[in-house]
Amino acid sequence: MNCQRLKNWFEERYDFEELKRLTKHKLVPTHQYEIWYYTGGITLFLFGLQFITGMVLAFYYIPYFEHAHKSIIEIVTKLNMGWFFRSLHHWGAQLAIVVLFIHVWSTLLLKSYRKPREFLWFSGFILLGISIFFGLSGYLLLWDERAFAAVRVATGGAGNLPIIGNFIKAFLRGGIDVTGDTLTRFYAFHVSILPLITLFLIGVHILLVQYHGMSVPLSLEKKPQKQIPFFPNLFYKDLIIWLIVLGIVVTLSTLLPPEIGQKADPLAPTPENIKPEWYFLFLFQTLKLFPGEIMGLNGEMIAIILISCGILFFFLIPLFDRKSSRGEKSFLFTWIGIIYFVYFVVMTVIGFLS
Amino acid sequence: MKINYSLITRRTFLNTLFGGWLLTFCGGSFYALLKFAFPTLGKEPDFVVLNTKDYIDIPSNSTKPFPWGGVMGLFFKKDSGTMVALKGVCTHMECNITYKPEDKKFYCACHQGWFDEDGKNIAGPPPKPLEFFDVKVEGEKFIVAKKGIKVELPKA
Repeated sequence: MNCQRLKNWFEERYDFEELKRLTKHKLVPTHQYEIWYYTGGITLFLFGLQFITGMVLAFYYIPYFEHAHKSIIEIVTKLNMGWFFRSLHHWGAQLAIVVLFIHVWSTLLLKSYRKPREFLWFSGFILLGISIFFGLSGYLLLWDERAFAAVRVATGGAGNLPIIGNFIKAFLRGGIDVTGDTLTRFYAFHVSILPLITLFLIGVHILLVQYHGMSVPLSLEKKPQKQIPFFPNLFYKDLIIWLIVLGIVVTLSTLLPPEIGQKADPLAPTPENIKPEWYFLFLFQTLKLFPGEIMGLNGEMIAIILISCGILFFFLIPLFDRKSSRGEKSFLFTWIGIIYFVYFVVMTVIGFLS
Repeated sequence: MKINYSLITRRTFLNTLFGGWLLTFCGGSFYALLKFAFPTLGKEPDFVVLNTKDYIDIPSNSTKPFPWGGVMGLFFKKDSGTMVALKGVCTHMECNITYKPEDKKFYCACHQGWFDEDGKNIAGPPPKPLEFFDVKVEGEKFIVAKKGIKVELPKA
């Protein structure tokens, strides 16, 4: 069967002309801030990479607390290219979180969340939360000392929320303490529940981008705008950038393969100088700031409530920022965005150095 | 009294019936799912029984871990030779603590919390002192129990 006949076969059944017309007419604004548009595409690419490397790692990983740690050592030492794919999965995740943070802050500072794109912000924010949970659940799977302590702190921290805290804690841990049951549960989150939710939300997110079109920053909205076609101009640029990102991930994976610590032992003291992943450092540092007791109240509960309020406010910013929704400049929220950013960076750096 | 007309239409009646059925069905299924997803929680033990010989000989000013349910308990022999048992879990964020013999203090590496020999929280974020247990010797066995718990061993 030659290609023309195959083409005809499909065209008799599906209207490809419509699709072609749609792709031809998809235009994207071009301006001085357009570089931030690429962060979304890079995240998508890295997620794709995570899905593929994750699938092959799942062939060999054993989600049982007695074998988990050893199975990773075997993946890295005995299997063909095992070290490379584990390393790729590790660095892909790190980079995905970096790019996600850049994506979020560029959206925040350019006010791209403003009317009518609130749901883009909400779906994106939930995706960020899920990605962080991906990270946490992913590194418990190593079942080493650091992962064990980190998951105790993270799930215990959720337990400090009033009323629902203990439910969340028990649900995440699968019991009263972090045990082998927690590992099985986090495996289920990591390879089944979170990926499915992620796929759905990415679908929603991308559909909404298509529906609304790219957001143009407030300062440029009133001026005459230049647009370029998505296919092929921007698509090729996207591919070029993806190739560069792939190069970076592969280089990092080859030169700096991740370590694995001692196997987790519930009866061993927590090792010295233990630190969580870098994207938890700002929370880690915040927790250290609060004393045990503040005016007779439990300090950690206050810390957790304040952190939750901070995150909730961040989530609901599109609803609070009325000015930019009306198309006016909103300096207050630029400053709020900068304050969040500075807090995050400063706390992360302090956490890193201390 | 007889009403000549119906208070609800046949359509509303059927919608309510089916809607109600659907709601009950979904609610029931969801409830069952939640019951399954939430584990039956184990309980922290009231007491544990340990062999005396495993712990009696530890040097003074040091600790030795023992399993307290799913978490770490610590036998601690003070300089004076007194043996005590405590839960080796920080009261801040539940990390395992270590004993620092040179400072005679307990230390939590997660968020730099300090406790003195008697478990009092003296520095860093921990909100409460460490939990100490009652230790009783019965023949070859140590019985480590929560404070205020009456231990009733099954007759052998």
